[in-house]
Amino acid sequence: MKQEDPKDFAQAPGDRLTRAAGKQLAIYALAAVAVLVAVMFVLNALAGLTSSAAGMSRMAVDVENNIITTYLRDEPPQMNSMLASDAVSGMVLAHVMEGLLRYGPDDELVGGVAERWQQEGNTVTFWLRDDARWSNGEPVTAHDFEFAWKNVLDPAVGSQYAFILYPILNAEQANNGEVPVSEVGVDAVDDRTLVVTLQTPIAYFERMVAYHTYLPVNEEFHRQTNGRYGADADEMLYNGPFMMTSWVHGASMQLEKNPYYWDAERIRLDGINYAHMTSDASTLLNLFKDDQIVIADLGAEMLEEAMLQGWTLNQFMEGTVFYTDFNHRPERLTSNLNLRKAMALVHDAGELVNRVIKLPGYLPGKSLFPVWLPGAEETFREEYPAQEYRRDITKAKEYLQAALDELGLDRLPPLVLLTGDTPVSRIQAEYYQEVFKRNLDIDLVIDAQIFRQRLEKMTAGDFDLVASGWGPDYNDPLTFGDLFASWNLNNRGRYSNPALDAQVRIAQSSLDMEERMRAFGEIQRIIHDDVIMLPDYERGYVYVTHPQVRGIRRHVIGAETDFTNAWIDAGE
Amino acid sequence: MENNPVIRRLRPADLEPLSSQSAAPLLVRPSRSYWQDAWGRLKSNKRALVSLYLIIGLLLFTFAGPLVWRVDPALQDIDQISVPPGADRGAMVVDPFVAWDNVSLDDGYQGGTGLSLAGDPTTQSVRLHWDAIPGASGYRVYRNNYPTQDADALGLPLLQINNTQQMYYEDRLDLRAQTYYYSVAALDESGQLTGDYESLQADVVRVITVNEVRARDLSDNPDALQPGDQVRLSWHPLGTDYLGRDMLARLMAGARVSLFIGLLAPLFFVAFGVLYGATSGFVGGRFDSVMMRFADFVVALPFLLFMILFQVVFGIGPGESGIVPMLIALIILSWPATARLVRGQILQIREEAYVSAARLLGASQNYLILRHMIPNTLGVILVTLTFAVPAAIFTEAFLSFIGMGVAPPTASWGSMCNEGLKTMLTHPHELIFPAAMISITVLAFNLLGDGLRDALDAKMRNTE
Repeated sequence: MKQEDPKDFAQAPGDRLTRAAGKQLAIYALAAVAVLVAVMFVLNALAGLTSSAAGMSRMAVDVENNIITTYLRDEPPQMNSMLASDAVSGMVLAHVMEGLLRYGPDDELVGGVAERWQQEGNTVTFWLRDDARWSNGEPVTAHDFEFAWKNVLDPAVGSQYAFILYPILNAEQANNGEVPVSEVGVDAVDDRTLVVTLQTPIAYFERMVAYHTYLPVNEEFHRQTNGRYGADADEMLYNGPFMMTSWVHGASMQLEKNPYYWDAERIRLDGINYAHMTSDASTLLNLFKDDQIVIADLGAEMLEEAMLQGWTLNQFMEGTVFYTDFNHRPERLTSNLNLRKAMALVHDAGELVNRVIKLPGYLPGKSLFPVWLPGAEETFREEYPAQEYRRDITKAKEYLQAALDELGLDRLPPLVLLTGDTPVSRIQAEYYQEVFKRNLDIDLVIDAQIFRQRLEKMTAGDFDLVASGWGPDYNDPLTFGDLFASWNLNNRGRYSNPALDAQVRIAQSSLDMEERMRAFGEIQRIIHDDVIMLPDYERGYVYVTHPQVRGIRRHVIGAETDFTNAWIDAGE
Repeated sequence: MENNPVIRRLRPADLEPLSSQSAAPLLVRPSRSYWQDAWGRLKSNKRALVSLYLIIGLLLFTFAGPLVWRVDPALQDIDQISVPPGADRGAMVVDPFVAWDNVSLDDGYQGGTGLSLAGDPTTQSVRLHWDAIPGASGYRVYRNNYPTQDADALGLPLLQINNTQQMYYEDRLDLRAQTYYYSVAALDESGQLTGDYESLQADVVRVITVNEVRARDLSDNPDALQPGDQVRLSWHPLGTDYLGRDMLARLMAGARVSLFIGLLAPLFFVAFGVLYGATSGFVGGRFDSVMMRFADFVVALPFLLFMILFQVVFGIGPGESGIVPMLIALIILSWPATARLVRGQILQIREEAYVSAARLLGASQNYLILRHMIPNTLGVILVTLTFAVPAAIFTEAFLSFIGMGVAPPTASWGSMCNEGLKTMLTHPHELIFPAAMISITVLAFNLLGDGLRDALDAKMRNTE
């Protein structure tokens, strides 16, 4: 191979070349920077143009236009009230739509489109007010409700929340395709009278009617949208306090006061600007600090600063109950009552919440029924206080020994704890792993899964213990009470007890509130005695609001953050 | 050549043989092997030497550390959660906690003093009771870390009471030995603040019960302890994490996982890469180009996607560690760089004159490989290895950070960083320590690799 020294070869011309190339390169670089700067200026100017064109304010509170700016936790999948199953859609729907009944500022049931209503046996009659209007000026009629409800129950529509209409006569059968939808017990007698026939008389139907699946839909308009109903701001008709004027998918949403709303005087804001769609706590806190949004939830690490800044902090109990469910299928070890009792005697929800999770707003769990649920007179938990296990390691070990004897084992094999992938559920799982290991020598294997995967495994029964949560759909203890009924598909541990089933039947069918509450009290006792699950906590939030905005409400049922009663206090 | 002065002056004596001369200058120095030479150069490189000591220290920390610091890394010290290093450990012994569900006013409290404390405020609980505030139809209890000045900023809301019967509250939420400012504010019918409130200062004392002292083995003679005695809680030199686990013990446990991956994976993939590259380079020709195209194909595989696929294929079940699939994925995906390097080196050496000469002299293939190829590529391989170690440690930390590595309660530096990140603002030590360990280790291995490359570079030989 011929060897050549490349250095000698290219030395002289290379020197000249690099100098010239260097000069050229510097000129290119300068030009590139100049172009970039120019582009940035242009983009900035454009951004300013578009935002002012859309009437957006850069501040959280626009006193001049009477508009507030806030955020949505997520992009709503769609705004079709018949299909919506998520909290974000539910929240926006509560602002732009109104059903027969709605919840007032203090969670009391008040008339919405219905002026008055009456239940006699299994017939419920709603009389609609004549000034309720759609946002195109047409009146809201009883036919709009009949159409929407029957549409929800149509098996071809496939609404996930169709079950919430099941108290209505033939609703379940129609949804399963056994009878035609026309057989469903909803009948618009005339434009202003809606008669609902129930399967059996129940006492809590009016509480369910406030749920967003019961909202009306204008049939004529729905037909015109060709299946795109609720997909965009102009693909919907509104009958609520506000109407959606723009919806930039994944980015923002603007609501404007609805001039056709029958009770428009009640609404004091002229518009709500959902300018951000994010659920990241620190982003939201920064937006709040920059005066870009009027409300923000606070994480534990932000409280110190919030106290230092002297912000007004509020607490909101979200209404969801979190608990550790056992797998009661007979082939599982957790179907053994003594084992469950042993674990219950080690479990300490107070320690979990106060020492480990440490998030303000969380309440130690004591029962399946959260504290806010209404009873007959007072709240349910005041009428029927929850029974609790106190930590007692000695007794727990005795129960464990009894369980081992019954099972014929020397030592328990590891148990699988199915849990979510959120920070709180991971901390909780690691804490349980250590607590049960140290006190009972039970090994827990943590199976952390994303929500959908976890749901799949829960349904398949692929767990021994599972961290579960249950949020209410309506304002009655039954929304929790039937959770462990043997026929309930959400009873993931497949617990089956005729005594509990009997109580659920009473709670479902009785019209006497006292009797129903007694049944729930009995259910609560069975859950405790049989250790069907271990209550962990009730979730709450600490949040901060803009000092100029008053009357923001947060509801357990309906709109989680409700601005319909809010107003701007420009006095300061 | 007639005018060459040297030839012209040549005399017959010049052609005489030389007699033995004792005065001939002798320039000799001890013969040094390649490795001795390299070691000498490495020793004179301060940075590399310090890195070497750091790595030795790290190995001691990992393997000898747990023998000295005998603390279970999974043990949760519920009394000391997220405690920074050097925190006060004194605690007062008290009676076991009894819930305060009903107002058992056994401290002689008769009412009339407004908001006041029932019993001493301790980390077990702070008990408040108050008199009815006129016009109130409910109360909200607040806790503040700063003195309360404004009715709008009373601090952290703890509980809302929607009736007027309950005029007591027991706070147990994450109490620490510090001063809190409690307030009780009156609510109107609709649950809004009326503006009336009362405040109170509480200096919380850290306490522990005798049972807890016994369970945590804090005293030699727990039975002799009386309420009011002082004990010292267990010592955590680097503080504790969000579940009260000892940071030092966890760092040591985490180091094992990190070094396991960090040393084993490079060892395997460098070994495979060397074999692959050497074969390819030595055989050459069509075989070489086919093998190298395959290496290119492997380079093109996305690492993260492969990791996830591996976890699926391996059927990594719940609670099982993802370390083995991570190791295998690292090996399978990281060898081509070494292979390419070694192939290039072999191709170069194959054309060297001394190899041709050896061939000409009839040297066998084995001799060529053992005598010329391997020793001449060893330097390159060693340098690759030292650079591959920090890369692998970093990959492990990264994968554990995004939750694809070890399963709890096993710790690794990456997963510790991931957990520490969540409390970065309030308890920075939970993030700083593992992050510092990763940084120092990676830096030390990189600097050592740098030094090795300089030391092993044959071209720098004898240039001191």
